[in-house]
Amino acid sequence: MVKRLSDMPEVEAHHLRRIECPTFDDTPALPGKPLSQRRIALISTAGLHRRGDRPFRPGDGSYRVIPAGTPARDLVMSHISVNFDRTGFQQDHNVAFPIDRLRELVEQGVVGSMAAMHYSFMGAFPPDAAEPHARHLAGLLKQDAVDAALLVPV
Amino acid sequence: MGALGHFLERQGIPTASISLVREHTETIRPPRALWVTFELGRPLGIPDDPDFQRRVLRATAELLERTDGPLIADYPEEVAEEADFTGWACPINLAPQATDTLAAEIDRLATWHDQSVARTGRTTVGVSGLDMPKAGGLLSAALAGDPPPAQTLKEAIDDLRAYYLEAASAFPDPGTSKKRKAWLWDETLFGRALLELQPRLAASADPQLRVLGNLTLIPATERHRLAKA
Repeated sequence: MVKRLSDMPEVEAHHLRRIECPTFDDTPALPGKPLSQRRIALISTAGLHRRGDRPFRPGDGSYRVIPAGTPARDLVMSHISVNFDRTGFQQDHNVAFPIDRLRELVEQGVVGSMAAMHYSFMGAFPPDAAEPHARHLAGLLKQDAVDAALLVPV
Repeated sequence: MGALGHFLERQGIPTASISLVREHTETIRPPRALWVTFELGRPLGIPDDPDFQRRVLRATAELLERTDGPLIADYPEEVAEEADFTGWACPINLAPQATDTLAAEIDRLATWHDQSVARTGRTTVGVSGLDMPKAGGLLSAALAGDPPPAQTLKEAIDDLRAYYLEAASAFPDPGTSKKRKAWLWDETLFGRALLELQPRLAASADPQLRVLGNLTLIPATERHRLAKA
């Protein structure tokens, strides 16, 4: 079980400490509708895409589109990092990309609806490489009438 | 991950993220984050546990109704270590032998990989577009001093890694994922090939092969094996 970096095996903590994190001015958290009325998109940074889509490459800040109806058997992962577990995803895609869980929350009325399209970046991106793609994506999310995005790392 | 929260929220899309590394999230300060103590690679906690996963996703989504960000909420549930089975042993002899080859090892695992696909209905192999004998051939060529382009080699190796671990998950007593990963490094010619390849790539004249060798071939947790190899 992972807690703080100080509780991790040193070799793993050392690797994570070396990752440079950008700093930002605070971004105000926007108000919105109640959750039960929101349309939500999943955005993963696991380097996921459909088999046959362009794999991610080092420094790649772009995203891949994962339509809501994509069968689990079509999903593959081309994240460049080898420093996270992939066996969980191999066993059950929802442990990294909880698309079926989002669908269930919609069925239960907890969440209003789910977006038609979901997305994955590859988390090892330099922020400058991802920002233009993220700005463009924000416009597409609005076209899909999306009210909020859930961001899921690996 | 946290950077995307800033980028999207500034464009008018409210966001809530799962955080796996609290220290990173404390630095990046995205608008809303739910910190979980799960293993990297498993942000929803437990494979094949829909109830657990749904609770984590719901807790993340509920943060959307808060506007007092940047905030980090602590998720209360933890995941126990996977139960360990003593006496786990590979059902087929995969121990490296003088006469054995990587190609033969890949071939022997095919029936187990088929079992895995039959059971789960899916495979995560298929980034490179190569079949596994061809992927193994590229790795062998790289070891023989004739590497393909770095990206091609990386995709072939990632597919092989997924193929081996999925095949092992179908063994009669598959053990824990931790045991299967240890098996890959301790007992397979594939693991040995990666350890032998690392110093060669690290010394390559091609900068992309050097990046592959130094950063994205051997996990940080397995690098201690390099000294021994």
